[in-house]
Amino acid sequence: MSNLLSVENLTMKFGGLTAIDDLSFDAKNNQITSIIGPNGAGKTTVFNCLTGFYKPTNGQMFLHKEDSKISLRKYTDFKIAYVAKVARTFQNIRLFPAMSVLENLLVAQHNELMVASGYSLFGLLNLKSYRDKEQLAVDKAKYWLDIIGLTHRADDNAGDLPYGDQRKLEIVRAMCIEPRLLCLDEPAAGLNPKESAELNKLLKFIKTEKQTGILLIEHDMSVVMGISDHVVVLNYGKKIFEGTAEQTKNSKEVIEAYLGVDE
Amino acid sequence: MEKKDIIQSFKDSLFTGLIALALFGPIVGLRTVSKGEGLFITPQWGVVFLLVGLCILGRFLININSARRTEFKIFSTLSSKFSSITEDKAKHFAITGILFAVVFPFLPFTDRYFMDVAIMILTYIMLGWGLNIVVGLAGLLDLGYVAFYAVGAYSYALIATTFGWSFWICLPLAGVFAAFFGILLGFPVLRLRGDYLAIVTLGFGEIIRIILINWYEVTNGPDGITGIPRPSFFGLPFKRSPDEGETSFHLFFNLEYSTMHRIIFLYYLILVLALITNYFTLKIRKLPVGRAWEALREDEIACKSLGVNPTNTKLTAFAIGAMFGGFAGSFFATRQAFISPESFTFIESAIIVAIVVLGGMGSQTGVVLASIFLIGITEMFRDLEQFRMIAFGGAMVLIMVFKPKGILANRKPTILMHGDKK
Repeated sequence: MSNLLSVENLTMKFGGLTAIDDLSFDAKNNQITSIIGPNGAGKTTVFNCLTGFYKPTNGQMFLHKEDSKISLRKYTDFKIAYVAKVARTFQNIRLFPAMSVLENLLVAQHNELMVASGYSLFGLLNLKSYRDKEQLAVDKAKYWLDIIGLTHRADDNAGDLPYGDQRKLEIVRAMCIEPRLLCLDEPAAGLNPKESAELNKLLKFIKTEKQTGILLIEHDMSVVMGISDHVVVLNYGKKIFEGTAEQTKNSKEVIEAYLGVDE
Repeated sequence: MEKKDIIQSFKDSLFTGLIALALFGPIVGLRTVSKGEGLFITPQWGVVFLLVGLCILGRFLININSARRTEFKIFSTLSSKFSSITEDKAKHFAITGILFAVVFPFLPFTDRYFMDVAIMILTYIMLGWGLNIVVGLAGLLDLGYVAFYAVGAYSYALIATTFGWSFWICLPLAGVFAAFFGILLGFPVLRLRGDYLAIVTLGFGEIIRIILINWYEVTNGPDGITGIPRPSFFGLPFKRSPDEGETSFHLFFNLEYSTMHRIIFLYYLILVLALITNYFTLKIRKLPVGRAWEALREDEIACKSLGVNPTNTKLTAFAIGAMFGGFAGSFFATRQAFISPESFTFIESAIIVAIVVLGGMGSQTGVVLASIFLIGITEMFRDLEQFRMIAFGGAMVLIMVFKPKGILANRKPTILMHGDKK
């Protein structure tokens, strides 16, 4: 399995506080890599560095293409999703609540549609070439909605969906940009066991069917241990352990710092 | 109702009376009258007590009513019925409205005054629709929209008086200039949102006005620009006695000369301009850029995470909104034939924002209703002179009490997967 992402000596300082301290790890294609650790360990900060919301103080992050690699440091802001094709979801759901489910998925395909609409010119003229492209975008949205079983609610406002469905919608919305790396920030937070199981199924589907690597921050161990191929454990911004789910479960350091012992 | 409630509401009404006394006492009670050399104060305590009494009584009745939980039931059912009607029959409503607007100049009761009010309302509708792109769709609260109106009016006036070009050449140019100023404003405020953005745009509006006052060599300062050419009907001017070698409108069509011809022409001109604005907005809302505007209003961070370029998206919203403001400005200039910075004060921006917000953010029909309501009411109470602003304020309060999200607050998705269910 080839490398997809390599993070090298990543350091992020906020004034005197070192949120991430010399972190290095790799994530592979078609694998789920989980980042776990106690609250405040710097997990979300890693995501914010990867997805261009923060500029890291030090270190490199590379996304590997066939034979070349691109440095994520070079891209900030919207270009991470647009050029580097790294998509993310958020700890607290960030849908467009007053827009319909379908519209949410179309906004994710904004850049292709913008070109297809001739930067609005062809669209205003209502040319067939644009209408066809729009239909393709709708079909793609329908494909993903079928997978998460929300096709019947496509025309409802995203904000009116139940919490669990909003989580799933946010993930498939990120998938609509056809990312090479998908970063999920606590996707199982607030889900009941049944919904967590559905989420596992969805993530496994993305992993096996799509050319996408998944980076996952999660506290729900049933999700982490159930689907992770690789686990990175952080504490106080430092990597304290790295290995498979099975190894992590039995590691002394991890149990001490994070997992705790059964009474 | 219990005795305790009555005592409670009585106390509350007395307190209301106290506030009313504090307000009306100095404002109404002490009236200044100029006699001969100076100003003298004539007290009017009778009126004050009447007003305070009314406030106490009104408050008491409201209190008793709300204790019985009937609480304006009539109003709320009325307003919910109203919105359900407009929801279901939005299309019929729009078509009827447009048809009415088309035949309006030829209705028997329509006179010069009605036409003037109608032209004014249509101008505000057009401005409201233009601002709706920025505020309603893109969610960027712009309190300086009048600046683009001014830029449009002055560009039109300056180009038309300097080069003598026709209305149809100057109009797009004025729109382009206004759009350019839209981008100019857009750049520094890209990172701002909400209150901060509102303050900066407010400042921008004032800056434009102050430049217009002080740049005497170009804008003629507070004296304004006079003699702005009137529009012609495809080359036929509206004149009683045309210049040599020219045919005027009434001669060409063999009509008797009437000043109403020009008014009717202006009316149709602004109607067409406004409808173009509306058509354009409705179209662009369904395009990717329109969806990106709305997405930006909903959540800017999520937009970035999906690769939507927030800079371009915001700038197009500012530019297109400003362009329509500029078109409306050129129309204003050609209608008045005279413009001065006086016409572009903050209150204009405030009225336009009020129209958009009261109409229901993003609702095109709401803008129409709010314009008719706000401008119409202030016109109806013109006889009350300075008190008509109370009618204006009262209208706003009424809408906000009964329809806190605006007259028409429902949003229709721009694209449907399952088609219209109804």
